[in-house]
Amino acid sequence: MDDAVSAVDGVVGRECGTCGTVAGPADRFCEHCGADLPTDGRATSSGVAVPADPAPPEGPDTATAPMLAPARRQPPRPPCRECGGAVDSDGYCTQCGAKAPSERDHFAVAPAPGVAAVSDRGLRHHRNEDAAAVLADGAGRAALVVCDGVSTSVSSDVASLAAARAAADVLGTGSVGLAEGSARIAALGVRVTQAAAAAAAAVAAATPDDDAESPPSCTFVAAAVQDPVVVVGVVGDSRAYWLPDVGEPQLLTIDDSVAGQQIAAGRPRAEAEAGPQAHAITRWLGVDSPDQTPRLTPLEVDGPGWLLLCSDGLWNYCSEPAALGEVAARALGGAGGDPLTAASALVDWANDQGGHDNITVVLARLGGATGATGTTGMASVAGTASAEGTDQR
Amino acid sequence: MTEFSAAVYQNEYLAGGSTDVHAIVTVECRGAGQAGQTSAGDAGEIVIVDTSASMGWPGVRAAQAAAAAALDQVIDGTWFSLIAGTHQARLVFPFDGGPMGMAQMSPQTRSLARQAIGYLAPDGGTAMGTWLELAARVVQSVPSVTQAHAILLTDGKNQHETPAELDQRMARAAGHIQVDCRGVGSSWEVGELRRIAQTLMGSVDLIPRPDQMAAEFATLMRQAMSRGVASADLRVWVPQGAQVLFVRQVAPSVEDLSARRREVNALTGAYPTGSWGDESRDYHVAVRLPASRAVGQEQLAARVQLAVGDQVVTQGLVKALWSDDSSLTARINPEVAHYTGQTELAEAIQDGLAARAAGDDRTATAKLGRAAQLAAETGNEEVTSKLRKVVDIEEPATGKVRLRKNVDKLDEMALDTTSTKTSRVRK
Repeated sequence: MDDAVSAVDGVVGRECGTCGTVAGPADRFCEHCGADLPTDGRATSSGVAVPADPAPPEGPDTATAPMLAPARRQPPRPPCRECGGAVDSDGYCTQCGAKAPSERDHFAVAPAPGVAAVSDRGLRHHRNEDAAAVLADGAGRAALVVCDGVSTSVSSDVASLAAARAAADVLGTGSVGLAEGSARIAALGVRVTQAAAAAAAAVAAATPDDDAESPPSCTFVAAAVQDPVVVVGVVGDSRAYWLPDVGEPQLLTIDDSVAGQQIAAGRPRAEAEAGPQAHAITRWLGVDSPDQTPRLTPLEVDGPGWLLLCSDGLWNYCSEPAALGEVAARALGGAGGDPLTAASALVDWANDQGGHDNITVVLARLGGATGATGTTGMASVAGTASAEGTDQR
Repeated sequence: MTEFSAAVYQNEYLAGGSTDVHAIVTVECRGAGQAGQTSAGDAGEIVIVDTSASMGWPGVRAAQAAAAAALDQVIDGTWFSLIAGTHQARLVFPFDGGPMGMAQMSPQTRSLARQAIGYLAPDGGTAMGTWLELAARVVQSVPSVTQAHAILLTDGKNQHETPAELDQRMARAAGHIQVDCRGVGSSWEVGELRRIAQTLMGSVDLIPRPDQMAAEFATLMRQAMSRGVASADLRVWVPQGAQVLFVRQVAPSVEDLSARRREVNALTGAYPTGSWGDESRDYHVAVRLPASRAVGQEQLAARVQLAVGDQVVTQGLVKALWSDDSSLTARINPEVAHYTGQTELAEAIQDGLAARAAGDDRTATAKLGRAAQLAAETGNEEVTSKLRKVVDIEEPATGKVRLRKNVDKLDEMALDTTSTKTSRVRK
């Protein structure tokens, strides 16, 4: 299992490290099981070969180059999350027997300093229908996407993953160049709208022809980040929060849900969210959706802080911005400001509250206080949510 | 090419708070080849015949025919010897007094051995421990023999050594040789021979009449020669803090393996299973996990492996998955239920017969009644037909039986030896 990635250079076919199916040279995901395929950084999702290194200089002439290249995957099995023991090739810990989560059930990625995503099955659901895709260059640019599959449909986990990846691909392509202020906001807004359209198309592509009853569907929240400007777009009830180091936490999104509409109309949040059908969503990505256009929220930050995207598996336990801000501050404090550790801590916290739903948390440091200084190149590491899990025997 | 496979039958769903996991693991071997041919090392076969005075001339003549029939099945090249047992053990073949207590089978040695068999005569008493001790010693005199097997024949009780002496001598033989035990007639004790067979990883059975010995010996030897895998261990891994409640072979016969455990590492125990031919065996593994997990969580309760030498050749995973859906957690796996019933059936028969022998008819009726009920429930027709010779079964469903007055000793012994033979699950 550890070293199933066969050598590739984008020319010959290769085998999926999860199920062994032979994939095409430009494929990024296994057609059979959906697992991430290793890439050498040159093959893009459209199969166009571009130089990976040195990275092209930033500027308007780079508009066609991928801004954020997907990363090479590192497949070694991490130690057991419960006891730290080695995980056997059969998928269980050699010490405590805990089931090692499949990559689809639990994944954590940190594409660049200051940016991380963690997604987890939670405790009560049998699979993870959440998906996240994050790309970042460590120099203030990032593409962040969270999609939460609607569990009434059989293949929503496939749909959400396809949607998140498609959206991140769009968000990570091209550059807004030298545009600043409102021009930059407008350019990023167009990008988010295009990303949502690509995500919707991916969900439609993942919909079986004969599935008219309950076609796969998912929520969508994405952020196009070019520090200090962010544009967030949302369809459904996944959320984005801005958590400034100094000042009040803000919820950047309005849920497309019964409760969200009531809150927008002035009903107190706690009361609205406790009501009947409060969590029923009114918009989603899916072939049966009435409206898939993202509602955009621009933000130009005026100081350092954290942008947090999450699925309702987290916010259900701390819906008020102040409550979420407090939980996040504790996690970030305990993590010494490391977003991967903090996002994992937030997932653990949600599981401690009951883990009733899948949980996904994305954190990105904004406001110029990242460790990235003077990076001119765009070579990046990136991660995307990956992989159908190993089979559930 | 020898291939092993394992399949696990269990209900992995546990209710919140539950920690005990039961599973039946079926291990199957294919392509085992012949003894001494496929694995490293040679095979050794020993025929041990009782020549005590009680055998008499007719018994000894039948034993001679049986020994010859067994030797006819031994493949050329296999190491073999012949032991005559009385109150002491005597090496009948090879008789050259050399350092090797065994000879390699060839047309010449087979013919010489037949001659030696001809000189057997009834005389003396019975001390089976000495026979086993000598058998183990001759095996060890040939270092290339890595797979040794014996057939032991007796017609009587072990009268010329104490049970403690028998235990000591058996312990010296254990690990060196596997012994299939056969009792002829009705003067031997099933419990005594069963104890030898269990310690030395062999079978026990009844041969009602002397003239049936030759066919039985030939069958036993053919089986032994078809066991191409010299020895294998069942390995059971459990998580830290978990407890193995028991490890039992449940098919083709019930054997509690728990006491055979040898530690491989802190979490893994090895249970010797002897040699393997093309066959399948079922094991019942029961594990108590250290703690119940939250609903929706899954963990591994056991890795059940078969190891040949240090090589793990197959593995089955026993899982635990906590659920609050009682339609899942309340289900009893049919294989686990079947073999739990078969194990209880064996105990009920043995306890019932022991009570009957002790004159405790009340207990005997209750136990044999329960046996009749279990045999009917689990479809064990062999046991049912043998039970009918000892009790009148009035209502199989409720286990209502009456002890029969005049029971043939052989019928009672046949029921006893059959008690541990299990029927397979009807799939």
